[in-house]
Amino acid sequence: MYRLFLAIRYLVTRPINLLGMAGITISVWALVVVVSLFTGFINVIEHHVHQASADLVVVNLPPWANSRKLVAALEADPQVAGVTTRLLHHGLLLRPGHRPPPTPLPGRSALHGGDQPFLFVQGIDPRSEAKVTGFDDWLIHADIPKELRAMDQALLPRDGLPTVLVGLQRLTREGLRVGDRLVLTTARIETDPQGRRSPRKVQFDLVVGGAFKTAHSGFDGNTVFVAADTLRQNLFPDTPDAVQEVALRVHDQQQLEATAGRLQRTVNRVLERDQYAWASVLTWREKNSGFLESVQHQRALMQVVLVVIMVVAAFLMLATLSMMVTEKVSDIGILCAMGGTPLGVTTVFLACGLVITACGIVAGTLLGIVTGIYLEEVRQALRWTTGIDLFPIDVYNLERVPSAIDPMWLLQVAGMAMATGLLVSVLPAWRASRHDPLVSLRAG
Amino acid sequence: MTTPVLQATAVHKHYRLGKREIPVLRGIDLSVAAGETVALLGASGAGKSTLLHVLGLLDPPSSGEVHYDGRRVDALPIGQRAALRHAQVGFVFQFYHLIPELTALQNVLLARMMATSVFAYWGQRKQARQKAIAMLEQVGLGDRLHHRPTELSGGERQRVAIARALLAEPKVVLADEPTGNLDSTTARGVVDLMFSIQQQRGLAFLLVTHDERLAQRCHRVVRMQDGVVVR
Repeated sequence: MYRLFLAIRYLVTRPINLLGMAGITISVWALVVVVSLFTGFINVIEHHVHQASADLVVVNLPPWANSRKLVAALEADPQVAGVTTRLLHHGLLLRPGHRPPPTPLPGRSALHGGDQPFLFVQGIDPRSEAKVTGFDDWLIHADIPKELRAMDQALLPRDGLPTVLVGLQRLTREGLRVGDRLVLTTARIETDPQGRRSPRKVQFDLVVGGAFKTAHSGFDGNTVFVAADTLRQNLFPDTPDAVQEVALRVHDQQQLEATAGRLQRTVNRVLERDQYAWASVLTWREKNSGFLESVQHQRALMQVVLVVIMVVAAFLMLATLSMMVTEKVSDIGILCAMGGTPLGVTTVFLACGLVITACGIVAGTLLGIVTGIYLEEVRQALRWTTGIDLFPIDVYNLERVPSAIDPMWLLQVAGMAMATGLLVSVLPAWRASRHDPLVSLRAG
Repeated sequence: MTTPVLQATAVHKHYRLGKREIPVLRGIDLSVAAGETVALLGASGAGKSTLLHVLGLLDPPSSGEVHYDGRRVDALPIGQRAALRHAQVGFVFQFYHLIPELTALQNVLLARMMATSVFAYWGQRKQARQKAIAMLEQVGLGDRLHHRPTELSGGERQRVAIARALLAEPKVVLADEPTGNLDSTTARGVVDLMFSIQQQRGLAFLLVTHDERLAQRCHRVVRMQDGVVVR
């Protein structure tokens, strides 16, 4: 009993111990809040990316692929709910006579995009695209003003020119209106009679047909849609059936991986090239793995940084506990005289460290949970009082700061903090037990 | 003849200082009977305090034997020696050694907490508290229960230390210059109190002191010089 009693008395009568407790509280709080924020952000971002993607895509189709046969084979699968073909290209989309702006820094537009002129140009068939993605909904998004909305039949030629659909953010930032002319500058590979392949510049006019908006601002900022036939005529004039990607929607998301595996075998069979790694069937997650993994990587980095903060807090606790042991050596003698043992004395100081850690964990976890739940309110309060916006939700197409508290993570943080607390308490406690009680009894 | 409550036989104690061996106790034979008061007199460095620590099982002898109630105890494992110390011996020191974070009542109660688990103490906390209050009232500190050591005078602190030493109802009290840090008037009061309690309870008292007058109040005076009993 005396161990716990003395430990608590030592702690409550020494305000300096609050420093160690505060350190543990802050590090636990930060680990809970930041990881909750990142987890919520990843959940939201994954949802946004999925909304802007097909469930499955067949990529790296070889030039000799029979796309009609392939589509028919894919449609025959019972899990496939819709199939569409796409052409993919890159290009500069500018007003006639305009020069492109300087290239932005690498990765600048990774998340939100929109400030670089080099774009993904997707050649699609609007009807079948709508069966695979939310294409129709993207054109009538509530944020798109009436005057920027595409006509009922999107991507139909206008004034004799092919149309292009541009992301709403890019469209408004560049001051474009429906009917404005743009020039797409790109290149195609040509083979001369000697068999040499070389790129050749291709330019053609387009008319703004309207805006689209998905939940994934990165996709909106970097992508424009044109009719597949427009790309085919300008870039693949000799291949009327050219297809570069097949996108699919499945019935059951739970069976996505299994369906992808089955469809891969179908693709291999249709292309009759089992032995070569030509076309691959990718899930939406695999297709966007680079982007999704980069966000997860950021979360992992933050975890490492915050664990380092916990280690720093632990050192603070080590310092205060060591100081306390130095101050309390005079008590060690009397505790032994009253029937205490070196192990008992060790336990008193060990209990001090564990009580500090436990209180820090409880306070940090509770604060972290409350902050996680009211993260949006905290952001607004901070913006209102200081003018600083720590998490600009508009950039990420969010309504509020995302947060997801994972009970497993809370347990991991508590376990990690407890282990750290135990580790730094052992040293001063061991030092206390090594102290000769007779020395303090003689010294007085 | 009754068995002494405390007995030392041929106790030697030496400390090492580098390669040198410094003898502090050299063949001490001493016994204290129940209800007997014994004064240990001697100059500084005679080995009085060391003998007290050896008899109180705080420091093992280099050779020789220590017996409690006829049972040899100096060779017991550390845990058993600690338990025996708690049950049989009460210490009173010159510098009181009260824990400054605790009130007078808590300092006394700590003696009860030493040998009980959290759950066992919880079941008997009211009785323990009553007993500690009674003990403090007996030493004249009924109105100072919730004062910390820094709020008490030297005499009051020593009274708290006496109450703490007696709470576990030991058979022997070992007092190391209990009045060495007090003025003469306060010292007289403390000594009167100690002897009064000793008589009431029939305790064995071993008192280390420099004070001849205090020594003369004991049943027996043992004089030490250079680690041996001279008379």
